[in-house]
Amino acid sequence: MNFSGFPYLVFLAVAAGIFQGCPGRHRALYLLIVSYLVYCTWSIPGAALLFAVTVLTYAAPVLEERSKRGLTTTIVVVLLGCYLFAFKLALLTPTHGIGGLILPMGISYYTFRLISYVMDVRWGKIERERSFVQFAAYVAFFPQMVAGPIQRADDFFAQLPPKPRELAGAVGRIGWGLTKKLIAADNLGVAVSYVYGHTASLHGAPLWVALYLFPLQLYADFSGLTDIAIGSGLLFGICGPENFDRPFTASSITAYWRRWHMSLTTWLGDYVFTPLRMATRTAGNWGLAFSTSVNMIAIAIWHGLTGGYLVFGLLHAAFLSADVLTGRRRSKFFKKHPKWDRVATLSGWVLTMNMVAVALVYFHAHQITDANQLLAHLWSGSAPGWLDALGTRSLFRGAAAYVVLELCERYRPDIWWAQVRPAAPRWVRWSMASLAMVLGLTGICLLLSASGEHVRFLYEIF
Amino acid sequence: MANADTHQRIEVIFRDILDDETLVLRPEMTAGEVENWDSISHIDLMVGVEREFGLRFTTAEVAGLKNVGDLEALVEKKRAASGK
Repeated sequence: MNFSGFPYLVFLAVAAGIFQGCPGRHRALYLLIVSYLVYCTWSIPGAALLFAVTVLTYAAPVLEERSKRGLTTTIVVVLLGCYLFAFKLALLTPTHGIGGLILPMGISYYTFRLISYVMDVRWGKIERERSFVQFAAYVAFFPQMVAGPIQRADDFFAQLPPKPRELAGAVGRIGWGLTKKLIAADNLGVAVSYVYGHTASLHGAPLWVALYLFPLQLYADFSGLTDIAIGSGLLFGICGPENFDRPFTASSITAYWRRWHMSLTTWLGDYVFTPLRMATRTAGNWGLAFSTSVNMIAIAIWHGLTGGYLVFGLLHAAFLSADVLTGRRRSKFFKKHPKWDRVATLSGWVLTMNMVAVALVYFHAHQITDANQLLAHLWSGSAPGWLDALGTRSLFRGAAAYVVLELCERYRPDIWWAQVRPAAPRWVRWSMASLAMVLGLTGICLLLSASGEHVRFLYEIF
Repeated sequence: MANADTHQRIEVIFRDILDDETLVLRPEMTAGEVENWDSISHIDLMVGVEREFGLRFTTAEVAGLKNVGDLEALVEKKRAASGK
């Protein structure tokens, strides 16, 4: 079931309708059943595997309590890591899978949830969950299965039993996500796909267009998918964590990674970076550079075991290391010379956006040589008629939609409305809620009818 | 509630490492509320506190901290245990 497909939306409406009438004490069980039903539409063996790793992880803290040696958690974390890595590695084999199963849907996201749960119990951050139903519902929660966000166990369990939330907010969020995906990302994607499909024959301007548009396409696509996931979760009373905080306003590469795919970066920060940095804290700056680099390479390898992703990770490792190692010195300099601060912010933003764009060329190109070729031919002269070849209409439609997207995320009309809403008369509140619902549903129907049969999200494959 | 000495010494370290002379720590304060307090500076803060009090934290202890109050309580517990 695809998140931007009509069957998903119909299923979502029916399942959310039943949820509204479900008694509170049965809601976690209901979430579990619905989540496994959705998973079975993707793959029944995949659902069986999900159940098996859920049982294993649920049992780990119980066994740990009995043994008191602390080995069970370590063994389970290593097993879960190997489980994820084996499926990623199998993509490189001729069959692309293990036992006929190719990269089970959401494997990364549920494995991350499982690892964070056992580690948090081990570190004493949370109590072990007594109810298997609640635990299994957390692991399999379907809105977050395709591409996260990676919700932590304490945040999820604190919302149980889930209570129905305001419908307009949830539907509006799903409609907003679909709009970002189908109008901004997919229209920008036409030009980007053309350029990346013809890197050998293109020069100059079209390459610049793809260089700067792919980050925007990726953001609109991935953040749109996150909006749909969060909106879908709200329909079942669960509010997931935010994944983005206007990443393209960052004026340093460290700030960029604080704003991009936040649920993954904080996950890696807690379970990879912190243990490594603690172990290397006596090594000073070199320990910091080492821990940062391992963190970025882990992000790269998680995306896939290809040369392009590795170069992407290595570039970010170098950028981040340079940033964190010079940070204190720069900060002291700008304190002494405050008039240079604004120049530094602006030049930092330009530099950061270019570093992100260049690294993403290796992320998106099929081969490292394609990426090298794209970057090498940026300064060559362009062939006449290059703009028409990129698809002028979709390019301008996508660019206009992206500008609207950025403006909405900058000025947040939803937050403004949430602030003035309590003071508004009841009829205004009802009218606005109805308007949001009608606009959301109309937008969804129009977008679906215009979007063709099957639209894939860029981050579905990880 | 941590004693004034522990609180004050930790506050000085936070101000220095997070480069904010006006920072006032509260027990319920978390990383999300303070600019520049991220996963990178967090370990610098821990190293600073370790040096200041002559203590040594484990990864589990650092990972288990939820706010400033937890850190102060951990420092007091370790100081009491080591007599520092």
